[in-house]
Amino acid sequence: MGETTPAVEIRNLVKDFRTSFRKKLLRAVDDVSITIMPGEVYGLIGPNGSGKSTTMKALLGLVAPTSGQCAIFGKDSLKVDSRNDVGFLPENPYFYKHLSGNETLRFYGKLCGLGGSALQERVEELLEMVDLTGARDRRVGGYSKGMLQRIGLAQALIQKPRLVILDEPTAGVDPVGSRQIRDLILKLSEQGITVFLCSHLLEQVQEVCNQVGIIFQGRMVKEGRLEDLIAIEDQTEIVLQDADERLIEGIHGMVERDGRASVVRTGKPRTTLERLFLREISEEE
Amino acid sequence: MMDHSDTMSVKDSHVRRVLVIATHAFTQLVRMKVFYFLAIFAVIAIGSNFFNLPQHEGPESAGTEVLRSIKSWSLGAMTLFSVVISIVATALLLPKDVEDRTLYTILAKPVPRIDYLAGKLLGVMMLVFVSLLLMDVLMTAVLHIRTSMVLDQRVAYATELGWPQEAIDSMAAEVNAMGSTWSLQGAVLAVFLRASIMASLALLVSTFSTSTLFTATVSFLIYFIGHFQADARDAYLHVGEVGQGLVAKLVTLLVTLVLPDFQLFNVIDAVIEGQVIPLVTMGKLVLVALYYALFFTIASWFVFSDKEF
Repeated sequence: MGETTPAVEIRNLVKDFRTSFRKKLLRAVDDVSITIMPGEVYGLIGPNGSGKSTTMKALLGLVAPTSGQCAIFGKDSLKVDSRNDVGFLPENPYFYKHLSGNETLRFYGKLCGLGGSALQERVEELLEMVDLTGARDRRVGGYSKGMLQRIGLAQALIQKPRLVILDEPTAGVDPVGSRQIRDLILKLSEQGITVFLCSHLLEQVQEVCNQVGIIFQGRMVKEGRLEDLIAIEDQTEIVLQDADERLIEGIHGMVERDGRASVVRTGKPRTTLERLFLREISEEE
Repeated sequence: MMDHSDTMSVKDSHVRRVLVIATHAFTQLVRMKVFYFLAIFAVIAIGSNFFNLPQHEGPESAGTEVLRSIKSWSLGAMTLFSVVISIVATALLLPKDVEDRTLYTILAKPVPRIDYLAGKLLGVMMLVFVSLLLMDVLMTAVLHIRTSMVLDQRVAYATELGWPQEAIDSMAAEVNAMGSTWSLQGAVLAVFLRASIMASLALLVSTFSTSTLFTATVSFLIYFIGHFQADARDAYLHVGEVGQGLVAKLVTLLVTLVLPDFQLFNVIDAVIEGQVIPLVTMGKLVLVALYYALFFTIASWFVFSDKEF
């Protein structure tokens, strides 16, 4: 498959749901088009109920579009073979409680047609990758939220798909677990795997995605490269290490002499609460 | 990505996937500890030896009531277990997957929906089959021991009375017919077939119902209707005989095609009485079961293939 085939191609997707009683139509997704090229990390952001999950489900063939088309690497989403190349982690997944982590991955692997030593090797590799080797024989019913998300990510990757779809991958996970998942997403991106994720945690999307779409009330309101979308074109940021008062005053003087430019603000950059939390935790350990 | 030769050839992929899902459903049910029922069954099978039934028989026919009682209790317990498990387990598995969203993760893999349904159904049937097999072994063993005890006792009594050998032989054949026979194995198979019909029916109901309770209730209702639908049908036709038209016939045909007629399975009671099931009857039962199981599974697929999650 050439690099020119988009990993995800959603064209003019419309999805109406019929509310059960008065048969009133509810438009969950309204004319949404998304194209994700191989290797990109695309973040779809929007408030709850804005149509993010429905868009993903349509892409996976879990719901049928009212109109429009969805395709994965050129294959129609409504066809089963389109799912050979995709891994999916739903929002708040629960796996079969009676299976251990190892059995869970083996089950999904077998569904994808894997077997024998190739499957076991892949399972070991993924358990290692999501840091669950120690919990491999524990029943999934006893896993924490973060562990469930990680085993979920591992099952999504079992058949080495070229595309992974993650629905709120860090919802309800503590900062450490959330950081682990974020690092895993970055690792996938480094391996050239296309990632399509949706979230309402904007900071995280900003950290991992290079393409962003904003969806609101079923409609795509803004889309593009993250850097282009968030850059404030007429401003420039300079962060200095060990600069003394004299240097700062000098810089202020230079700006004043320029006449055209002006200083918007100076001060100490702040760490984020997340970084502070993670630093304190790692120091405690 | 995996090489395509790594994944699977289309030919055997369906069978493999159905088996993976079936084995998983089987494991899931086993880990729900349904096999505990087997301990209760053991108590019933062994206990039925000691149920003191009023004896209306002389010493020349002593013991056959006990054999009847063992068969009756055992087959009754088998029916209860197999029908309850096939309905409840099937009604439970599908909504649970939807509720826990595990279904999303399965259908997001290259798994056709028919494979998923067939796998779940097969898993339940495997569980019922294995349980019935174990119960059958236990029942046959108990029956075998008890039959030889009864036979010894009866032969000794007859010899004492100086019966001619011919009469003793015919009496022995009579006792053996009450024991463990091929027809008895056929009756166990009939129990399994009926449970399979119920499992596939529950599968169909659960594809459009929203709760396990609804599925189970409707399925049990149809199970009971299945036992008197033939009577109801006959009565209806009889009443309408004077002006019976095409409509009545069509309605009857439709009812028979959609609702299983469980009176066909009354052969189980005949076996308890020591009668033989003709091979033709057995073959007919297998075909009937196959028809309903396939019909309900295909109907489930129609509903399920357009279902949105």
